[in-house]
Amino acid sequence: MIEVRDLKIHYGDLVAVDQVSFSVSPGSIFGLIGPNGAGKTSVLKAIASLLEPTYGDILVNGKSVLHQPEKARCLLGYMPDFPPVYEDLKVWEFCDYFAHAYGLRGEDKRSRVLECLLTTSLNEHKHQFCKTLSRGMKQRALLAKTLVHDPSVLLLDEPAANLDPKSRIELRNILKKLADSGKTILISSHVLSEIEDTCDSIGFMQSGKMVKSGTLEEVLRNNPGTSVVRIHLSSPAPKLPDVVSQIPALSGLELISEDRLRFEVTLKGNQTEASQVLAQLVSSGIPVSEFSCQKQKVEDLFLQLESQPLNKQTFA
Amino acid sequence: MNPLIVRGIRERLRFKNLLSSGLFSLILCSTLYLAAFLDGMQTILPAEVSPSGEKELISIPMNGAREAFTVLLILQGFYLMFLGTGRVASVTAEEKETGLLDYQRMTPMSPPSKILGYLFGLPAREYFMFFLTLPFLLHCAVVGEIPLLNLLHLYAVFFSSVILYHLTAHVIGMVVSKPRAASWVARISVLGLYIFLPVLGQAGISFLSFLTIIPTYFGKILPHLLAEGTEKLGRFEGQAVAFWQEVPFFTTTVSPITFTFGMQGLLLLTLFCTAYRKWRLDSLPALSKPTAIGLFLILQFLLLGSLWPFFSLGEASGLLGQALQLDPAKTVLPNQLKHGTHPAIAMIVVQSTFFLLNLAALLVLINVCCPNPHLRLRGVQRKERLGISQIPFLADEAPGGTFVVLLSCICISVFACLHYLSVSSEQVTAVSHSINAVFLPGIVFFFSALSLRAAREQWFNIGFWGYVGGLWVTPMLACLVLAVDDFLGNSQLMLHLASLSPITFFPQLIVHLSPDLMSEGSQLINLSSTIQTGIIASILLVIVLTFTLFRSNRT
Repeated sequence: MIEVRDLKIHYGDLVAVDQVSFSVSPGSIFGLIGPNGAGKTSVLKAIASLLEPTYGDILVNGKSVLHQPEKARCLLGYMPDFPPVYEDLKVWEFCDYFAHAYGLRGEDKRSRVLECLLTTSLNEHKHQFCKTLSRGMKQRALLAKTLVHDPSVLLLDEPAANLDPKSRIELRNILKKLADSGKTILISSHVLSEIEDTCDSIGFMQSGKMVKSGTLEEVLRNNPGTSVVRIHLSSPAPKLPDVVSQIPALSGLELISEDRLRFEVTLKGNQTEASQVLAQLVSSGIPVSEFSCQKQKVEDLFLQLESQPLNKQTFA
Repeated sequence: MNPLIVRGIRERLRFKNLLSSGLFSLILCSTLYLAAFLDGMQTILPAEVSPSGEKELISIPMNGAREAFTVLLILQGFYLMFLGTGRVASVTAEEKETGLLDYQRMTPMSPPSKILGYLFGLPAREYFMFFLTLPFLLHCAVVGEIPLLNLLHLYAVFFSSVILYHLTAHVIGMVVSKPRAASWVARISVLGLYIFLPVLGQAGISFLSFLTIIPTYFGKILPHLLAEGTEKLGRFEGQAVAFWQEVPFFTTTVSPITFTFGMQGLLLLTLFCTAYRKWRLDSLPALSKPTAIGLFLILQFLLLGSLWPFFSLGEASGLLGQALQLDPAKTVLPNQLKHGTHPAIAMIVVQSTFFLLNLAALLVLINVCCPNPHLRLRGVQRKERLGISQIPFLADEAPGGTFVVLLSCICISVFACLHYLSVSSEQVTAVSHSINAVFLPGIVFFFSALSLRAAREQWFNIGFWGYVGGLWVTPMLACLVLAVDDFLGNSQLMLHLASLSPITFFPQLIVHLSPDLMSEGSQLINLSSTIQTGIIASILLVIVLTFTLFRSNRT
C-alpha cells in the first residue's frame, strides 16, 4: 500500500510537485502519466526515499518514508528510468550482489536469484557481462535486481521504455502476476498503450499537479471528451455533409474511402450523444449500414489534457 | 563478507585482471627494486679500513636492501595512495552520476558497512598489486636488518594514511558529481591536505606535520637506513630526523605516535561523519552545524596547544624554531630589520599563519554549513509546515548568522588568549601591548566571516566562488602584475590593492601592529593608509552584502 499525502517538492524556486495526493492499494497497478517535466520521476524518487519532499508525507505499508526511511526502503523495489548496471559484473553476479546486500544468504540467495532470472527470462544470459547486454536486456536485469529481495511495493520508472514488443508483453504479464500475488505497483510511463493494458488506475500529472486520477474506467468515463465515430453507408448519400453540419455534437467529417461510403467524424460527448446522433442520421434518411463509436483511449485523454491550460482542467 | 567487497573482487580481480595487473606490478617492482638494490649494494671501502690499504669497491647486500627500501615504499604509495585514491573518487562519482549509488542507498546495509565496502572493495586491484610487493619488502627487511617493530609502526601509519586518503576520495566522489573531476579533485585534495598543509608545521603549528606518513618515515625508519660504515646521517637527513621528536603541546610534550594517530583519527572521524550523512540522504550538507562547531573547537584547541610554547616561551618547532636559534646578524635580512628583529618576524609568520589557517577553515565551514538559497527556501517551507516561529539555529536550513558569529568568537578568543600569553611572558618581547593588536585583527576576521556568509546565503556556487575568487585572489594577482612592472614605484598601490583581500590584509595588519618592525621599517612603506583602506573596504562589504541578503530574504 502506498499513500501519498499533500506531497510538495521544490527545487529551489521551481515547484516540481505541487500538493499531490493519491493512494495505491495492494494488488493493484497504478500508472503515473504526464508530459516530460510533469514531476513523475520526482514523485517516484520521493517515495523511494531518495528525494526529501518539502512538504507532505508518504506511507509505504504504514511506514513513513520521511520518518522511518530504513524500514520503508526494505519494503521497496525501485527501478529508475535509465538502467544503470555494474558493467563489469555478470548478470547473475549483479543479482547475487543485491540479494547479498538485502541480507539473503546461502541457498535462499541462490534460489531467489535463479527465480528472478527465470522470471525476467535472463537465465540463458546469466553468464554474460552486463556491459554486453542491450538496453532492453539491461532493463530486464534491473527488473530482476528490483525483484530479488521480494519487495511488497514496486516503483518502476519507465519500465517498458527500451523493450521490444515481445518483451513488453512479457513485462505486462510479469507485472500482472506480481500484482495478483498482492504486490503494490506504481509505474511511470510514456508508453500510454502499455499503461492502459497494464494498470488498474492512473494518475495524470501536469506541471507538478495531479490533474486527474482514479480507476481507468472512472477516468475515461468521467471525461466528457471527444471520440471518433465511423460511419459506413450502404449507398452514397450526397446530403450527408449538410446533415452532419446541422448536428452540433459532430464536427470534422472526413471521407476515408474512395467508394464514398466510409466516413469518420469527431463526436463531442459520450455513448449517449452517440446514440442520439445515430438516430438523427437515420431519421434524416442517411443509409447507415454501420456506425461505430471508437472507445476513448488513455492516449486521447493524454493529448486532450495536455492541450488544455491547467486552470481549465477539472481537478480530480 | 561485505557484499561491496565481494563485488569489488568480482569486478576487478578476474583471472585476466589478476594476470595483467600482477605482471605489471611484478615487472615494475622487480625492475625498480633490483636497480636500487644493486646500485646501493656497491660500496666504496675507504683506504683506511680496506684490508688492501687502497680504496676498494665491495658489495654489501645490506646497504642495497636499505637503499631499495625507500624506492619500494614510494612504489607502494603510488599503488595505494595515488591509483587507489583516484579509483575510489572516480567510481564513487560515476555511481552517483548514473544512479547506482541510489541502489546502494536503498539497501538495508548500514552506512558504516557501505563506507567500509567502498573503501576496501573499489581499490581491490590496487591492494592486490600492493600485495605482490610484499616479498620484496620481506627481502628488504631481512637483508637490510630493519627493526621489525619500526617497520610495523611505519606500515600501521601507512595503512591509516591510505584509509584516510581513500575516505577523502570517497567523500569527494559523493560531493563532486563529475567522475573525471572527482578523481582529480581527490588527488589534488590529498596533495593539499596531506602534503602541502603539513608544511605549515614548519611555521610553528606542529600538529599539521602529523597528517602524513613522512614524520614516521624520517623518525622511525631513516636512521636505520644508514649504509654500513656510515656513522651519521647527512645534513638533510639529520634535520628530517630531528623533526621527529616529542611534540610540544601546551606546557607538556606529546608522543609523536599518539599525535599521528590522534590527528589521522580526527580527520577520519570528520570524513566518516560526512560520508555517513551523504549515505543517508544525498541532499544533506556534508556537515551539520554542531559537528562543524565541534571540529572548529578541536582545531582551535590544537592551535592553542601547538602555539602555546611559542607565545609563552618564544620557542617554536620545525624550520621556524631553527631560524629563531640563528644569529640575526648572519641572516639575509634588510639592514633595517637586523639586530634582534628575528622574534618579530617569527611572530608575524605565526600570527599570519594562524589567521590564514582560520580563514581557510572558515571558508570551508561556511561553504558547507550555511544554506544556499535553495536550502534556505526549504527551511522557510518546513517552518510553515511544522508551524514553528523560526528554524532552530543549528538546523541545516537555518541562516548561518549565529553560526558564523560563534565561529568568529571562538577564533578571536583563542587569538586573544595567545596574545595575552605573550604579553604576560617575559621571554616574548616582540609583541604590541596595545588593545588594537587583538581588536583590529579580530574585527577584520569577524567582518570577513560575515561577508562570506552573506555571499554564501544569497548566491549559488558560481556567485559564491566568483566572490571568493574575485575578492580574495584577484587583488593578489593584480599585485603580482604591478610588482613585475615596477616593484618600488607601485609598492603603495600594491599594498592598497592587497588590503582588499583578507589573505593579504592580515599579514599587513600584523606587520603594522608589530612594534619592533614598525619602529625601524616605517620609512620603507606607509601602512597606516592601507590599513584604513582595508578596514573601510571590509566594513562596506559587510554592509552591502548583508543588505542585499536581507533584501533577497524578504523576496
